[in-house]
Amino acid sequence: MKPVVDGLKKDYEGKVDFNLINTDKATAEQNQLANQLGITVVPTFVFMNKDGSVAKKVVGEQKAAALKAELDALK
Amino acid sequence: MATKNGTKAGAKNGTKASATKGKSTSTSKVLIWTIVVAALVIGGFLLLRPANGSAGGVTNVDQNGVLKAQSDGVRVIDVRSSGEYEAGHVPGAENVPIDQFAQAIQSWDKNAPVLVYCATGSRSAEAVELLKQAGFKSIYHFNQGLQAWTGTLDTAKTASAPAAAAKPTARPVMYEFYTDW
Repeated sequence: MKPVVDGLKKDYEGKVDFNLINTDKATAEQNQLANQLGITVVPTFVFMNKDGSVAKKVVGEQKAAALKAELDALK
Repeated sequence: MATKNGTKAGAKNGTKASATKGKSTSTSKVLIWTIVVAALVIGGFLLLRPANGSAGGVTNVDQNGVLKAQSDGVRVIDVRSSGEYEAGHVPGAENVPIDQFAQAIQSWDKNAPVLVYCATGSRSAEAVELLKQAGFKSIYHFNQGLQAWTGTLDTAKTASAPAAAAKPTARPVMYEFYTDW
């Protein structure tokens, strides 16, 4: 998924922040975040609006188009 | 005369009687043995067959089977929607909604055992089919569904505190939680 996500980072630079967390090397804070977001499977993508509300949580590898659609829907 | 009769009669009687006796004994013996063997075969079949049905890499389990599988390290997957999952799920179960299931399992280890369930067994049956088609070797199905669960359930409240993650940021965020395979 790295090439896909890297591409998206470029396209949405300045519009969306990307926070990529390797769960094998996560810090305590990142682990806490994972718990709070209810992450149980990897990869999981969480799309969060500016106000902190979770717009969508998607599990499993995704096509770029699907991720783009969710990114475009973010407020 | 008497001897003759006696002998004859005796012999005849004796022979006849023993012949008849012999016949009935061996018949009933055969009958008894047939019944015993049949009982053993049927009994053995019933005993050796898992208490829960099992066919082609898929094992149906009941609630106890789920708990045992978990303690053996089997992943338990709840294939209902996230809303249903949050309202209450088997403690320790992961949520992979059925509409994302086919996609998600592609990156899973197909040799690792997996247990799936849903509310009534219909969506999880679909999940079982997807796992079979994807070549998973060891599939467990809590086919009665959560409606038959009588133990405790974890809810979104007990399992995590989602409200705490709602921190306003300057821009929306996309998180990806991943591992290096």
